[in-house]
Amino acid sequence: MTAILEVRGLVKVFPGVTALAGVDLDVEAGEVHCLVGQNGAGKSTLIKCVSGATPPTAGTIRLLGHDLVAGRPGAALSAGVATMYQELDLVPDLSVSANIFLGHERRIGPLLARRAMRRDATELLARLGHATLDPDAQVAELRPADRQLVSMARALSRDVRLLIMDEPSAILDPPEVDALFAVVRRLTAAGVGVIYISHRLDEIARIGDRITVLRDGKTVASNLPATTSPEQLVQRMIGRSFSEVFPERSDPHGDVVLQVRRLARRPDLAETSFEVRSGEILGVGGLVGAGRTELLRAIAGLDPVDGGEVLVAGRVVPRGRPDLAVAAGIGVAPEERKSQGLWLDWDQVHNVTICDLPRLGRGPFTDAAAEHRAAAAQLRSLAVRPDDPLRLASELSGGNQQKVVLARWLLHASAVLLLDEPTRGVDVGAKADVYRVIAELAARGLAIVMVSSELAELVGFCDRILVMREGAVVAELRGGRATEEMILRHALRAEPPPEPPPESPRASP
Amino acid sequence: MTLDALRRMKVQELALPLVVVLLVVIGAVLKGTIFFSTANLWNVLLQASVAGTVAVGMTFVIATGGIDLAVGSVLAAAAIVGGHYFHGAGSAWFMAGTILAGAAAGAINGIAVAWLRIVPFVATLAMLAAARGIAQQISHQTPVGLYDLEALTRIGSQRVLGIPIPAIVFLVVVALGALVLNGTRYGRYVVAVGGNREAARIAGIRVRPIVFSVYVLVGVCTGIASVLQTGQLASASPVVGLGLELDAIAAVVIGGTSLAGGRCTMLGTFFGVLTFALIFNLLTLENVESQVQQILRGVIILGAVAVQRRGH
Amino acid sequence: MIRHKHAAVSGLALALALTLPITLPLWQTGCRKADPPKPGDGSARAEPAKTAAPPPAGAAGAKIKIAFSAPAADHGWTGAISVNAKKQGAKYDDVELSLTQAATAADQVSQLNTIMMQKPDVLVILPQDETVTPAALAAMKAGIPVINVDREFSDPAAQRAVIKGDNYGVGFQAGQYFAGQLHCKGNVVEIQGIAGISVTNQRTKGFADAIGQCKGGIKIIAQQPADFAPDKGLSVMQNILQAQPKIDAVYTHDDDMAQGVVQAIKNANRDKEMWLTGVGGSRAAMDQIKQGGLYRATFLYNPTMAASAVALARLLAKGQGLSDLTEPVIPSLIVMQAQGVFQDNVDRYMQIAF
Repeated sequence: MTAILEVRGLVKVFPGVTALAGVDLDVEAGEVHCLVGQNGAGKSTLIKCVSGATPPTAGTIRLLGHDLVAGRPGAALSAGVATMYQELDLVPDLSVSANIFLGHERRIGPLLARRAMRRDATELLARLGHATLDPDAQVAELRPADRQLVSMARALSRDVRLLIMDEPSAILDPPEVDALFAVVRRLTAAGVGVIYISHRLDEIARIGDRITVLRDGKTVASNLPATTSPEQLVQRMIGRSFSEVFPERSDPHGDVVLQVRRLARRPDLAETSFEVRSGEILGVGGLVGAGRTELLRAIAGLDPVDGGEVLVAGRVVPRGRPDLAVAAGIGVAPEERKSQGLWLDWDQVHNVTICDLPRLGRGPFTDAAAEHRAAAAQLRSLAVRPDDPLRLASELSGGNQQKVVLARWLLHASAVLLLDEPTRGVDVGAKADVYRVIAELAARGLAIVMVSSELAELVGFCDRILVMREGAVVAELRGGRATEEMILRHALRAEPPPEPPPESPRASP
Repeated sequence: MTLDALRRMKVQELALPLVVVLLVVIGAVLKGTIFFSTANLWNVLLQASVAGTVAVGMTFVIATGGIDLAVGSVLAAAAIVGGHYFHGAGSAWFMAGTILAGAAAGAINGIAVAWLRIVPFVATLAMLAAARGIAQQISHQTPVGLYDLEALTRIGSQRVLGIPIPAIVFLVVVALGALVLNGTRYGRYVVAVGGNREAARIAGIRVRPIVFSVYVLVGVCTGIASVLQTGQLASASPVVGLGLELDAIAAVVIGGTSLAGGRCTMLGTFFGVLTFALIFNLLTLENVESQVQQILRGVIILGAVAVQRRGH
Repeated sequence: MIRHKHAAVSGLALALALTLPITLPLWQTGCRKADPPKPGDGSARAEPAKTAAPPPAGAAGAKIKIAFSAPAADHGWTGAISVNAKKQGAKYDDVELSLTQAATAADQVSQLNTIMMQKPDVLVILPQDETVTPAALAAMKAGIPVINVDREFSDPAAQRAVIKGDNYGVGFQAGQYFAGQLHCKGNVVEIQGIAGISVTNQRTKGFADAIGQCKGGIKIIAQQPADFAPDKGLSVMQNILQAQPKIDAVYTHDDDMAQGVVQAIKNANRDKEMWLTGVGGSRAAMDQIKQGGLYRATFLYNPTMAASAVALARLLAKGQGLSDLTEPVIPSLIVMQAQGVFQDNVDRYMQIAF
């Protein structure tokens, strides 16, 4: 095996922050080298240095035995480094082939050689095992998985020796992840080295050859075998033990708070009915696009519905009126926290009090002191860090941002919380904290509906689980009895397993 | 403003007040006695009053991420409507009619943007054309003399404690605007809608009524500005207000309000208006050719926005 | 790709829809019989007029079709141009006047191309600027005589006749008046139109030349453009009043704009200190001149020239000359007198105020 990449003692200092404090990394031809670490551990900075986007402060990067000229993306590109970023950097309005050859278009004289590009695009996609993808299709119209494929084909359209993949599976369903892995294996078989970054530790065992763990900008473990258990990895990532991620919960449930009756929004959501009790956490599982987010949005009145009704504490919430849903006590913590949940350039106080201004003010006027008092109390009760209510929302970590959103609904005395992927983009270390807060809210008597793609979260944390497929609820499972496999089988339209026998509302641990 | 808020103020927020101070110093050096006379300083404020009153409303619109290109045309149309239909009824009716006409034009813009979902740029571009046409149609392209409306012309010509009445109205409108924007629930909702529309919906804010309201608000401000303008001109003309929208938008933007919405400052708008009025005043005092003024305006717009960008 | 095709198809449909109302009347009219030119239809100008000799349509009983192309009414004066043309057209039973307004020179050129297809008997054009010349030339070559209003084409072959105001004369007359009234001594403020255009330059130059006779006795102490707009006139004058403690008279380039200047002076309570003049001949200006006081005079640059142009077009189509002149055809150049209107003669001109 030949070394493709050798990183030694890499240091990167930004004003006020040391992002990398001595990182070593080796990637050999034909291997998938996994890079893991919490958010802020330095993975992104490391990638930027290797791809030449940022010059390192100190240390060496050798590509195929040659020192990389610092800070010149062109140099890394021509040396055969290709990067697939988390945010897909495709141009949605251009065709597949145009995207693949963006920046190095085939030409005949000054003219674009469209036919040649189409032909080569088809060939590249065939190499990835997807010859059927139409090179003339518009990228905007493709499914996320196909877009990923285009992104990879673009990486391959140059003579790639090292492919960096940053969370490629984040937006993919399990079958699509399988297809992705098949493509990755084709590449490594051809001698390409791959750096694979993912938060999904189970994937790493499946695709990786070796693992390097970063923490606080340093390499804390390198060249671990892929068989390293997730528990061990987590321990190295967070520097402490994985023992108790999910808090103990054994609260008795109260009265029914949320009733959803025959709620439908075709074609995204078939008629759906269920109830949630005070203190209960209802998980909603399923693949991406199964209608889970649509369900939450329909309940909250954010999208128009075709029929059905939503009741909170026995009273009907008028349809399609998010303001009345909020008034009725329904709170939403959307998946897109930054773009839908928060005002990033507001301080935490304003983010928390936005629903309670009438109560906290005098007449039409706002009362800064009252707002500050009220918000600070909620933020403290959820242990938001740092403990400075005037800190801007944009300056908080993902987990703390989530807590700010929850604090808003707590202050508003909401009865129902609809959480969409509440731990997405949250560090492994901070996830436990978010679970603790959600459990606490349930203990205070809120009814909680929680959409999640993390099977462990559904199984280990929720009292009941609805599994959705193609816009309809296809199964209801008891939290204590369900397994990850059961959820997946329902989500994937596998043969229905024998229904578990009737049981008590919650099997206490 | 609390000490804490002062502490959190950034350098770029102080840039424009510094420009204003600098212009005042330049004025003092070049044209000491004339420039620094209280009469001239009130005169600067008087000159700022029409565009400034419109800019207050414009700040609200831009805070929601919108824009109103029609204010110049609406300024003319409102005065013509007032002058044509309410002239005979006296000054008070004229003023009410003019302000109402401004509000009506704003309401049409608001409906187009909030409910018909037409992009603000396009909706108000349509109004820019239509309102000017209406002004010319109703007036038969002739100014309407309003010399006989005594109370109205007094607004344009008289002073209270040495301060021209339009300047007083402008200061009051700015103060009210700042109070509403920073101190009321409504102001918070406006900024919330502009900063993150979806988050505002999820938080239970009724987005469309808020969006609608800011266009009515700028319409009312334009109506008030129209009264100030006709008071000074003692006539309603269909050709006034050409380019007013750009003056108002420029003042708002150099003040630090973001065209993307969600970030706005009424104090900044005030200083923005003042900056342009001071440049105009100084250069006319010096009898400098008008193209120099254009160049200077361009430089200041670019410079002010560049300084603000540095902070983000 | 698909998008582009779609756009092309819809563009074509749009073009068809737009041309339909224009082409329809053509079909309805059918082929008009082109009468042979009458003998004696001589011309003051040799070449272009001959090629563009119109059929004397009026005699045949059919209406004379006159097409008037004007700039959009974005100002009192341009507005009055259209009004005058329409009024004059309505006066004649034998004239069918169609009026189009263009916001830009490019618009005007494309409008003219459309108008030409309708084969009017005479085309009257107040061009946005010189770039309209080729379109006028094409009309002449196609046998449609062109009468130019106020802004002469760069190519003499592009027009059969010109009727225009006298910008230099306006400035010069005003300068003469200032020199006389101020006895060649005093501080004068000049409020100009739009900076940099020929109208403004001519009015400024004429004024400067006329007060040159005073050998520096009259000083122009401030000179600022106010874009022919009353609100700009107001704010420019407000500033100038601050800067200048002693002003004897104000020369403004336009009556509309002067209204703002007047108000600035009145609001500052300085209307006893100075007087001013305008240009144009608007109703408001003449009313104030008649009253006496601040507004002393205006110098005619009257939009009635549009009405006269329509009258000329009719005579041209009928093959007649001006009634009191000897020539049997209309002259090729008419320049309006930059007549001063003062309190003592204002009544004579009141009827043409706009």
